[in-house]
Formats: sequence, structure tokens, C-alpha cells
Amino acid sequence: MLAVFKAQLKKDVRKPVTIIVFMVVSILATLIFGNSTFGKPPTVPVFSTEPNGKEIEEKWIHLLKDSEALNFVLTEEEGALEDVASGKSSVAIKLMENDYRIITASNNSIVPFVEQEIHTIFSEEAQLQAVVGEEDTTKIRKVVESYLENPPLQAEVKSVSGGEIPKHDMGTQLLFVFTLFAAMFTIGFKVNGINEDKVNGIWNRLILSPVTKTNMYVGHLLYSFCIGFFQISVVLLLFQYVLKFELGDLRLIMMVAAIYTLSIVSLAMLISGFLRTPEKFNMVFTSFIPMIPVVSGLYMPPGTVSNPILLFIADLFPLKHAAEAMLNITLYNASWNDISLTVAILLLIFVIYMGIGINLVERRRG
Amino acid sequence: MLETINLSKTFKDKKAVDDVNLYVNKGESVGLLGPNGAGKSTTISMISSLLKPTSGDVLFNGNSIIKNPAEIRRVLGVVPQEIALYEELSAHENLNFFGEIYKISKGDLESRIQEVLEMVGLQHRQKELIKTFSGGMKRRINIAAALLHQPKVLILDEPTVGIDPQSRNHILETVRKLNEQYETSILYTSHYMEEVEQLCDRVYIMDHGSIVASGNKSELLSILSNDDTFHVQLSKRSEKLIDAVRLIKDVRQVDETENGLRIIAKKRSHFLSTLVHGAEKEGVEIIHFQMEIPSLEDVFLHLTGKSLRD
Repeated sequence: MLAVFKAQLKKDVRKPVTIIVFMVVSILATLIFGNSTFGKPPTVPVFSTEPNGKEIEEKWIHLLKDSEALNFVLTEEEGALEDVASGKSSVAIKLMENDYRIITASNNSIVPFVEQEIHTIFSEEAQLQAVVGEEDTTKIRKVVESYLENPPLQAEVKSVSGGEIPKHDMGTQLLFVFTLFAAMFTIGFKVNGINEDKVNGIWNRLILSPVTKTNMYVGHLLYSFCIGFFQISVVLLLFQYVLKFELGDLRLIMMVAAIYTLSIVSLAMLISGFLRTPEKFNMVFTSFIPMIPVVSGLYMPPGTVSNPILLFIADLFPLKHAAEAMLNITLYNASWNDISLTVAILLLIFVIYMGIGINLVERRRG
Repeated sequence: MLETINLSKTFKDKKAVDDVNLYVNKGESVGLLGPNGAGKSTTISMISSLLKPTSGDVLFNGNSIIKNPAEIRRVLGVVPQEIALYEELSAHENLNFFGEIYKISKGDLESRIQEVLEMVGLQHRQKELIKTFSGGMKRRINIAAALLHQPKVLILDEPTVGIDPQSRNHILETVRKLNEQYETSILYTSHYMEEVEQLCDRVYIMDHGSIVASGNKSELLSILSNDDTFHVQLSKRSEKLIDAVRLIKDVRQVDETENGLRIIAKKRSHFLSTLVHGAEKEGVEIIHFQMEIPSLEDVFLHLTGKSLRD
């Protein structure tokens, strides 16, 4: 077993490019997508074409800037329309004295959200205007705001443990998803080493040697586990200590990562069981694996995917369970007890897939 | 030492090996000859305990290896047709790996590695990666890996396919040395007739999954008919001479060739003086006269109706 393990290690030490590439890809993907697209509020260009456009723009941008969910920026009409046409912005807002128009190229998901946000701001202003008549609303706004700072009826939402409900952080979610996703490839390619050994005759040499079949499998699979876990650990430690991400209880996260790695080794073994050659494995594995996070809705905020069939398919793969467990640890300080069901599912996947996978591989040989 | 009894293997509906009986004595070198698809590799996979036969048995020192494969595996070296080596590792690292899986003690392993490297003539290239080696060098390391644990029986499955003449000679020399100096029993499969003629004491000829003939070289050659074939080169064509030769007793067949005649006559027949007189009478000069010596290739052609490389 040790000889098999050492041989695989030597091969990777001599040619570490695959592992390094997947590590770099997961880090870059997290930094690019986690910090930009999902981390920041979407930008909405605003403009006015009225004769007193400057005045209108100044009045509304001041109020619109208060929005935390959207980033409104003043633009020329031409620039705003061009942005919408080219897809740089999903919507643009044309401002009028007491009204607005939403300009969009398609009825995408952000339109109702922008509509709701801007409608609130304009309605509020309209109500204040109705109270003060022709006068300026600044004064009354200040009064209302100071009154609302200490309203007679206050509602407070707290988490189950009594603390504040943490905001879902898409950046952290993508960090885990990309890290676990990239590791799937590394682990899969390493498990495929068994198929490669079988095709090039090394496996037969091992069978004829005093090494037992169990040791041959364990040598390969243990190495695949170690290299996958090493990759995940390095990426998570880099985020925690170098890029200063707050990941929470790292020991618990590492434990989930280890169990996840085991289940991916099993998944790769199961896929090996269905395919005869390493080339077929590489082709099917690389085409099939990228679908898992998409089907599981892991690139989107939680709850976006609600189709029961997709949710069922997602449940069959370890990625969704592991990412959820890690997020719960990081965002909600989940304890071992809180994630024990997820861990049990991952272990169940490990046992079932490994059992079926090895049986299929051995049956195919016979 | 090693014997197969009515060994058969069927894949789905296709019978790949059909009732094969062969044996290899201690220190003997035996060839298994046949064209591609004859069933050689399937046969040796069953002999080396890698594949279970559909029926029949393989005996090693009288004991069934189907029931107890461990006994033969301890003393068996197999050189597969494929290059069963890690390309990303050096020759030394590969041999070290195979030595470790054969549980050769650390103290002995290095000396064994150097010994087998010397045997295949690649001691000076041991630190280089396998992927940088030529096809022939890879095949030599492929053999070296099978020799580390000093096997008593060595099975080589077409070890010289697609390699340069220098490596080929080296491999043949290594196999001969193993057989002569270390008394290793050899089962050598090939479709190169000359290799088998050169190396093996006995030969089994296989076709369509069955053994079609076996024996030493002279026994196999005797399979051919009781006729000899002669090629006669003549100065000119003469119809009368051809007719005269056809009338000679013991001459079975006379064919015209580009520059003379091809005569098939009964072995030890005395037709030469009649031929010379006939030629003199017709004014035809005999320029060249040659008797065709049959080879195992001819035996193979005779038995299977096709060439070995078909």
C-alpha cells in the first residue's frame, strides 16, 4: 500500500501542475466572483432629459444614494442607453420632476427589484410633498427621520441563539463552492490513476505481486484523498490567514472538508465503475462535474433553485451538503451537533458509492 | 513444471482459447507462436493466473493454480505486451517501486536493481525518466521489472514488438542468458518466427484459439510434405525441356518461373542427371540450381493457410 501511495506522490511531485492549477483557479474564481459580481450592489445609471434636468437629477440622486441595495449613478442619457443596450447595465432610470421611467432591454430578475426600490423612494417623497404642499420637503423629512429613529413600536429580529441574524454572504458561499468544486477535479483525476494502471498493465503486475487487492485500492484511494484534502486545506488556510476571510471554526470546517473529500473519492470510484478507460473517465467526469454546482444552485443565493427534481439530484452529490455545512459553520456558528446530519449524509454517500464503484470495477474485470 | 490441461476461455459467444494443452519443463524455453488474435495473450493471462479459464486447469508442479494462484505468483515473472511502467518516474524509481511491491528487503533491493539494469544494459540511464526513453529501452526496463524477484518461470508476451534491431538483439540475448545461466523456464509468445527459432527449444503453433502443431524445429518441419522444392535458372526457355522434366519419375510438379523452372519432386529423388542431359540436348544452359530449405514460416503457412503477420 505504501509503495503504491509513494509512487503516486512521486509522480505528482515531479508534475504538480494539475494540483497547482486547480488551487489557483479556486482562489481566483472566489476573488473575482466573490468580491465583484456578488459582493457589491448592482449599479443603475440614472439621468434626466427634462429642461431642468440638472435640478431634477440633483434632487433625486441625493435620495437615491441612500439605497443600500442598489448603486445609483448619474450618467448622460446616451451613456445610460448604451449601457443597457450592450448589457453592461440591466436597467437605467429616466428621472422626471415627480415620476420616473425604467429602461431595460429585457424583463430580467433585477427589474422588479429596482422597481420596488425606486417606487418606495418616490412614494415616500410624494407623501412628504403631500404633507408640506408647495414647500421644500427637507425639513419635514428630517422630522420624520428623527421620529423614526425612536418609533413607538419597535420590532427586533434575533437568531435562534439570541444573537443578530447574520447576513448571507455570497462571497463566502462562493469561496466554499469553488474550493470544493476544484478539488473534485483533482480527486477525480487521481482516482482515474486506477484505470490508467489497469490499461497500461501496471495493475496486473500488482496483482501478481504479494500486494493484496485491498492494499492496491487503499494505496490509490488514500493518495487521492490526501491530495484532495491537501488542496482544500491550503486554499482555506490561505483565505483565512493570508486573505483575511473570516471562516469561523476552522477545525470543524476542516473536518467537513475531510469527510467531503472521502465522499468525492467514492463518487469518482463510482463513475470509474461505469467507464472502461481513463480517456472515457476524463471525458465524462470533466463534462459531468461542472453541472453539479449549477443543478445544486450553489452559484446563486440560497433558495433560488426550487425545482424538486433539481433539488433531489443535488442531494445525490456531496458538494451541496458540504458547502451548506461549511456555510452554517462560518455564518451561523454551527456546532458539531448542528452539522451532524449533513456529515452523516456525506458518510452514507461515501459508503454506498464506494461499495457500488468497487463492485462495478471488479465485475468489469472478471 | 508448468502444464495446461484442456484450457479454454469463452468471451460471451466467442471461444478465444479452445482446449489448449501445453507444458514447460524446468529450464526449458518454449515458444508460443501465432498471428494476432490467435489467443496467445489470453492463454498466457490464464497461465499467469490473471484470468480465470472457462474450463480446464493450469498446473504448477502438479498443483492447480486456479485454486491456489499464490504458489505460481511467487516464482512467476510476467513481461506484458504493454509498457507497464510509470512514464513520469525514472527507470530506477520504477524498479524500486516494483521491488517494494515484491517486498524485496531494502538491503537487497538496490543490488537487485543494479543487477537487472546491467542485464538489460541500461545501468547508465537509470536516473532518466521513462518517458524520455526510446520504445526499445522502455521494453528493456519492462523486462527488468519482471526480473527483480528472480522468477523461476518467465512469461514474455511479444516483448519485441515495434522496437529497433539493437534493443531487439539485447532482449533476445537477455532472455537466452536467463534461460542458459539461471535455468529460468521461459514461455515466449511472438509472431516473429526467427525469434522463436533462435530462442526456443520447443514451439507451439496457435491459430483460432487452438494449438495446431507442436514440437522442436525438426519435428515441426517434418510436418511439411515429403517433397523438396528446387529452383532452376535457365539461359533460355524450352518447351521440350519442360516436357522432358515432367516425364521424370518422382517429379510431381513443374512450374515455369520468370527465368527458369520451379520443380517439386519427391524427397531424395534422382532427377538431376536427367535434367542436365535434357538441357544439353536442347541447347539450354543451367545457370543456377538451388534447393529451397523450408522454414517454420512455411510450416505455419502450411498449417494455417496464412502468414504469421496477417
